[in-house]
Amino acid sequence: MKLALRELRRRPGRFVVATAILALIALLLMVLGGLLDGLVAGSTGALRAQRGQLIVYSSTSQESLVRSRITPAVRHEVEKSAGAGRVAGLGSVQLGARVEGHGPRDLVPVVLFGYELAPRGLPNAVPAAGQVYADSSLKSEGVKEGSTVRLGPARTPVRVIGFLDDSRYSLQGTLWGSLGTWREVLAANRPGERAGQGVDQALVVSVGVADASKEAAMIDRATNGATKTLTVPQAINALPGVSQQQTVFNQIIGITIVIAVVVVGLFFALITVERVGLYGVLKAIGASSGTLFAGVLLQALVVTLIASAVGAASSLALAAAIPEGSIPFVATSSRLLTSTAYLLIAALLGCAFSLRRVLGVDPAAAIGAEQ
Amino acid sequence: MASPLLENLGVATHHATLTMFLALREIRQAKVRFGLLVTAVALLVFLILTQQALQNGLITSFVGALRRQSAPVLVFAVDGQHNLQGSVITPSLEKAIDGVPGVAEAGRIGQGTFTVEVGHGNQSNAALIGYEKSRVGGPDRLSAGRVPSAAGEAVGSSADFALGDRVRVVGARKGPEFVVVGLADNAQIQVTPTLFVSWQDYVAAARAVNPDAATVPPSVIGVRPAAGVTANTLTARINDASEEADALTRQQAAEKAPGVSAVRSSFNLIFLLFALVVPLVTGLFFLIVTLQKARPLTLLRAIGAPASVLVRSLLVQVAIIIGGGIALGTLLYLPLSQAKLGKLSLSFEAGAVVFWAVLLLVLGLVSAIIAARRVLAIDPLEATTGAGAR
Repeated sequence: MKLALRELRRRPGRFVVATAILALIALLLMVLGGLLDGLVAGSTGALRAQRGQLIVYSSTSQESLVRSRITPAVRHEVEKSAGAGRVAGLGSVQLGARVEGHGPRDLVPVVLFGYELAPRGLPNAVPAAGQVYADSSLKSEGVKEGSTVRLGPARTPVRVIGFLDDSRYSLQGTLWGSLGTWREVLAANRPGERAGQGVDQALVVSVGVADASKEAAMIDRATNGATKTLTVPQAINALPGVSQQQTVFNQIIGITIVIAVVVVGLFFALITVERVGLYGVLKAIGASSGTLFAGVLLQALVVTLIASAVGAASSLALAAAIPEGSIPFVATSSRLLTSTAYLLIAALLGCAFSLRRVLGVDPAAAIGAEQ
Repeated sequence: MASPLLENLGVATHHATLTMFLALREIRQAKVRFGLLVTAVALLVFLILTQQALQNGLITSFVGALRRQSAPVLVFAVDGQHNLQGSVITPSLEKAIDGVPGVAEAGRIGQGTFTVEVGHGNQSNAALIGYEKSRVGGPDRLSAGRVPSAAGEAVGSSADFALGDRVRVVGARKGPEFVVVGLADNAQIQVTPTLFVSWQDYVAAARAVNPDAATVPPSVIGVRPAAGVTANTLTARINDASEEADALTRQQAAEKAPGVSAVRSSFNLIFLLFALVVPLVTGLFFLIVTLQKARPLTLLRAIGAPASVLVRSLLVQVAIIIGGGIALGTLLYLPLSQAKLGKLSLSFEAGAVVFWAVLLLVLGLVSAIIAARRVLAIDPLEATTGAGAR
């Protein structure tokens, strides 16, 4: 083991190219993962922020918030079924927002949510008519507390009274106001999507238990099939593209890990071939195959750790350099650690290619070959 | 006695034979080592080509219908931010567009996503594109069937519908039913099965889904320029005429649609990293192999093998390895390119294969420069001292 570490210290040049390639693969893994995390976080924040456990859509909406309509009669049935649980309306509309300081054609895409049950990060009291909380990502667009934002072609004014974090939806910043504000903005700007009095797009139900799938089935039975009730994780997966994005990116990440296995395998197999004579001498003076292989393994792990650190630092630099809103990339510590773990496993597997060769070294033949 | 020319020719032929002999012989001797490298390159090529197909498939599925519709100019409301479904044309904007000089024909286009039943099957999503005039909003080219000639007829995206399909809009009220009479290739919008229907049918569908709708305004206005007026000139005139208008040519509308530039930027970042990994892996491999071969290479130089032969032999190996990787990677990509990932149709893109093959081959050969320099630096005299073994 000491020998392996000493070689790394004394002859670092030998490992530089392999470290550089692995660092690039580490960066690739972290970029792929960061893009996936950015896409998912930017699409699902508004649903993840909900305090309720269930989202109730109309059954013909295909779990699309925009197309869902819950009439007062259906809501009444849901309330009866939920019993002591809290039932609250939810509505949304995607619009262009005119922010102070922006040009007449420079609009900021936003999603206005109307709510009754405050999402995480907001006070329980629903804001007064015409007032909204804004997602903190909108700060980069110049939205400040006290700003008046004009929504849609009707330029409906809403005043920002505070901010909340991580509530983006459809990769857009969100505004959160009362259901009344939402209805007014919707009717003024989207006459074709107008919601009648008492009509909500969906209901958020808080039943106070973590696994609410039984309650979901009860609600759909109570409304005689007029609703489709999903748990929040199910509703997130039902968002267009979310599960497909996860599948495709995870497959690409999987193949990239296989490539990392091949690269590590190739590099250390070649290094092992180069050292056959040396291993023969070491075996002749009493070193076991296990000790020699442990040395190779240690070198692989150290090289991978250094490469991962370089990859992680580059990912963080990339995340800082990418302008807000251009590429949905986030570098989270959990993603960086997971990618490092994958690479370490790849290094272990890659090294296994060298094991056979180390075991097969014959001390006598190896020494003879050197003479 | 042979002439100097023939002598030179003989030497050149001998060197070429020696080059190929050395390159191929070594590959045959170390099949596993070279096989692993070919596998790594093949996997990388497969990933690159797959992602290229995914990128193009995604963009076509996002905006295919915008490219497929017939209006050379589309006028969005500036609030729509180039999003067909998010744009709402007010009556005053519609009037302003009609009055712009150079407008030969203008027609309403509406777009929305609806829940539908195809046949008597399960419910699914479909995007409806309602057009008032077929020359400004209808599908420009069909792959099968005919254009609709009556209410209740539709042209469907060929990846999702078949001729004769009956599609019913599901809503709070009884929705209209369409018969698919024509098919258009690459005609999806927002990665959703898409139907081109008449404006009246689109309005009926919107009202069936939302009885509270006050009016059903158009999403965009399709415009055809008058003779002698270009699409670019007309978009500038319309944008000058109204601050609410956001006129774009068909191509601009497809490029500026939400998500398209983000998809391109994200994939370009991934492509850049992959394009760096391939030559680095190849370069590393050949550098290590060259270092390991230092002793036999020195010996070869000492017995008269020219350095150029050894370098050419190295480059031949690089070309064989990368060529083999590209061929294997393309073979892996071939069946996948015929598949459908969810609602996304992929296709085999010969242009992408050629582009990446040439780029990776050039980068791979460039990456062998360090190994080649090591070969050129070998001193034949070291064969007598054993220094070549270092």
